[in-house]
Order: sequence, then C-alpha cells, then structure tokens
Amino acid sequence: MDLIKRIKRAHHPDWLIIEPSEMVVTKELRDVAAMGLRDTRYAVGPLIALVDGPDFDFIWEERHHLVQGKIDDADIVAVSRSDLVDGNKLGAILGTLNHRDTSVFPFSIQSKRDAEMMFNRIKRFEEEIK
Amino acid sequence: MRLVSVSGLSGSGKTTLIKAMAERFAGRGQRVAVIVNEEGPEIYESRWCDARLVAIEYIRGG
Repeated sequence: MDLIKRIKRAHHPDWLIIEPSEMVVTKELRDVAAMGLRDTRYAVGPLIALVDGPDFDFIWEERHHLVQGKIDDADIVAVSRSDLVDGNKLGAILGTLNHRDTSVFPFSIQSKRDAEMMFNRIKRFEEEIK
Repeated sequence: MRLVSVSGLSGSGKTTLIKAMAERFAGRGQRVAVIVNEEGPEIYESRWCDARLVAIEYIRGG
C-alpha cells in the first residue's frame, strides 16, 4: 500500500501496472488495492489473469487452486500463448474455463487481432469505471 | 491513476503483455509505472524503461 502511495506521489503515473508474484491470487490483490484507497485516490482494474495455454494440462492438474485463485475475481481472463496451442486443444481449454466464465478468450501477443481484443477490453473497463 | 494487474504463473506472458501495455499507453502520452513482485533477474531493461519514461519498482519476496 505504501508503495502504491509512494509511486503515485513521486511519479504521478496515469497507469500503475502490477506484476504480482505467481503465488498471489486475485482476491488478495484486490483486497490490498482496496485498502490503499483509504489514503490514496486511484481507480482499480482491470485485474487481468493469464492462463498459460501450452502448459494448461499440467497447471490445471497440479496447480489447480492457484490457477483458479487467479481466475476468480479477475476482470479479464485470457488463455495466453494461444498461438502455441493447436485449435482442438485450445477449444478444449476454453471449454474448461468457460464452464465457469464465458468471457475467457485466447490471447497471443503475436496476433494483432488478439492484442486489439485485449486493449479493447481494457478500454471498455476504463470507460465503464471512471 | 488507474491500478491494473497482470497475473499468471511463471512463463504465461505477463511481462510481455505489460510491456505491450506500457508501449501502448506511453504512445498515447500517458505515464506508466510498474511494480514487479517476482524473484529472479530484473526483467525490464533500464534502456527500455528510460525510452518510455516507465518507472519500475521491484519487490523481492514480498
């Protein structure tokens, strides 16, 4: 919290992007972000969760609670590195994740279309919550 | 200021997306700061940050 306040007052950024430790789940991050609002003015979100496409089978089996904790409470969820996953496999991953949330989408930074979709979602969020 | 986060397991493309976001926002003339809470080597090169006026703070083991 102090770091958020310090960065805001020192750098006056329009955007503060947090790359949390992989062990942090989204609710924890949202709670900390909410606590900081007591003493500093800023808007929160979107909180984005990336689920690694190529490694999906392993992480969904072995690290399920951690992955689920990142997805739960996230504003945007994307299957990342989707260009490295074949179509059938990608469909199965989206089917698994969309069982709970229908807005999960495939995302490859290599794809201009995917990048625009991600930025459009960020922009939509920005417009909805001023 | 708007606080956003990009989370995921190691290797999921967080840094790549954050860099793309910073490029996009800086291209609009907006200021960007990044808090990185990861162990390991620094992943945002100072030359890259300086060119985009991106402020970086690292937290180790936080």
